[in-house]
Amino acid sequence: MAIIETERLTKIFPGGVTAVDGIDLEVREGEIFGFLGPNGAGKTTTIKMLNTLLRPTSGKAIVAGFDVVKNPADVRRSIGYVAQDVGVDEHATGRENLTLYGHFYRLDSKTIKERVKNLFALVDLEGVEDKMVSTYSGGMRKRLDIAMGLIHEPKIIFLDEPTVGLDPQTRTHIWDYVRRLAKSMGITIFLTTHYMDEADKLADRLAIIDRGKIMALGTPDDLKRSVGGDVVTLSPCNTGPAECAAFLERTRAVLSGLSFVKGVQTADGEVSVFVESGEAAAPGIMRALGGAGIEIQRLSVSRPTLDDVFLKYTGRTIRAQEGSATTFAQMARKRNRRPS
Amino acid sequence: MNILADVWYQVIRHWRTQIRMKVWIFVNLFQPILWLVLFTQIFKSLSNLPEMGGSSYLQFFAPGVVVMTVLFGSAWAGMGMLYDIDMGILSKMLATPVSRISIVSSRVLASMTLLLLQGTIIFILALIMGVDIQTGAPGVIFALFIVSLLGLGFAAFSNGLALLYQRPEPLMGTINFLTMPMMFMSSTMMKPELLPDWLDTARHFNPVDYAVVGVRDLVLEGYVWSDLWKSLAVLGAWAIVGLIFGTMMFRLRAE
Repeated sequence: MAIIETERLTKIFPGGVTAVDGIDLEVREGEIFGFLGPNGAGKTTTIKMLNTLLRPTSGKAIVAGFDVVKNPADVRRSIGYVAQDVGVDEHATGRENLTLYGHFYRLDSKTIKERVKNLFALVDLEGVEDKMVSTYSGGMRKRLDIAMGLIHEPKIIFLDEPTVGLDPQTRTHIWDYVRRLAKSMGITIFLTTHYMDEADKLADRLAIIDRGKIMALGTPDDLKRSVGGDVVTLSPCNTGPAECAAFLERTRAVLSGLSFVKGVQTADGEVSVFVESGEAAAPGIMRALGGAGIEIQRLSVSRPTLDDVFLKYTGRTIRAQEGSATTFAQMARKRNRRPS
Repeated sequence: MNILADVWYQVIRHWRTQIRMKVWIFVNLFQPILWLVLFTQIFKSLSNLPEMGGSSYLQFFAPGVVVMTVLFGSAWAGMGMLYDIDMGILSKMLATPVSRISIVSSRVLASMTLLLLQGTIIFILALIMGVDIQTGAPGVIFALFIVSLLGLGFAAFSNGLALLYQRPEPLMGTINFLTMPMMFMSSTMMKPELLPDWLDTARHFNPVDYAVVGVRDLVLEGYVWSDLWKSLAVLGAWAIVGLIFGTMMFRLRAE
């Protein structure tokens, strides 16, 4: 059963930037749905339309049975939202933060008390409930933040980039909590991320979004299978960018003609060749390139990753888009935080 | 009812935040005391002027200190809103069913309670220092009501500006730019008879002056209804305009 449904959902910001471009989605009840794409792809904008913080320019979205434009109050009661920025009050205790949210959802004091206790146990914050949040580490704040999105036992929880800015160990912990949530509480989780491993490890199903459009949708395994059996990566050039581009183009032209090659993509000075079996295809690739007078520096064979999936459907790598601009934006956003 | 509950729980949050800032409490309680003691010393010789009508400057200035305290306190009320915007607390709150009006109004109310407490302390101190309050305790309550209308307007404007600018520098600049001239372009520190003609005209367009005139009447003269009605009407309108501005900015920025 679909718990989130969108129909040509579109957001055009004043100034004409189309952040989300006619998205059709169906999220099933109880699943962890991943929304994978680079920064600026339209993930957060989509979440903000689904949780009523932004009004869609056109199209329709039904969340937990309610239209986000017509019944925003009903939508808000049914969902929890954990934003990319940790929205907790440092100058209050963990318990105070959580209790206030209980009141926002109009729960009675007895229920709040009970749930606060259970939630602190769920996110492993027992013992620090009455400490000021300013003494919490980054990972503890994120866990409190997630707990605050759960106090009213929502049907759906939106997690926007839940592990951005956290260290690897804390990230693994957060993943555990997310899985635990889905299992023990039966909550539908809508999660955005630009981390391949996060999407791969957590999501039951995954949509790949780029420039406001959904490029592919399926389980992580299905998506990887759609790429082909193996990916052969060639690094054919170590010269200047102009010669390199010509070189990559020639390589692509030669390899595209081969019968056993399912697809070729070039990005970041590398050529990715999608084939059924990498070991079997490698000699053929070498022969063809040798015949065309193209010399390869390095060849490697790997199972496809979501990065390859992203490359296949968008023609770009997600890594290449992690430019310095986004890093600065993230630093700017964190400028007032203490280090975690 | 939900709105009242929402306001109440947020007011508690804001009170708790304020009470935990020990330095802030100390400074806020002692600043008006400092003004009362220091300014009456500086301007002591003014009471020799015939225009002062023989009353002491302390007697004249005490009502002004109450108004100044409320003016400066409430004008900064928007700073807390900036923290909520910057920390992502506001946008997280907006994804909950919490009533939208309660977010701004709880902030305004929480600042008002502190200001009324400060006002009460000043009145008590003024009594101790020998100020004779003509209308007694009921007059003090009336005076606190008048200044709370002034503060309500300023606190709402300040929150609205915080939402409009979303950063501290322009907010601080605007507050400094407005509050100082508004205080001096009134009869807060100077009898109207001692003001130049143009300032005596300008003060009639300044809500601060209506608060000062009303409170001073209650302290020095008694119930001068011709002035008091004007104060209530102008400051009531001022508070309403402030709240409308604050709500509009909230809609503009947060929805």
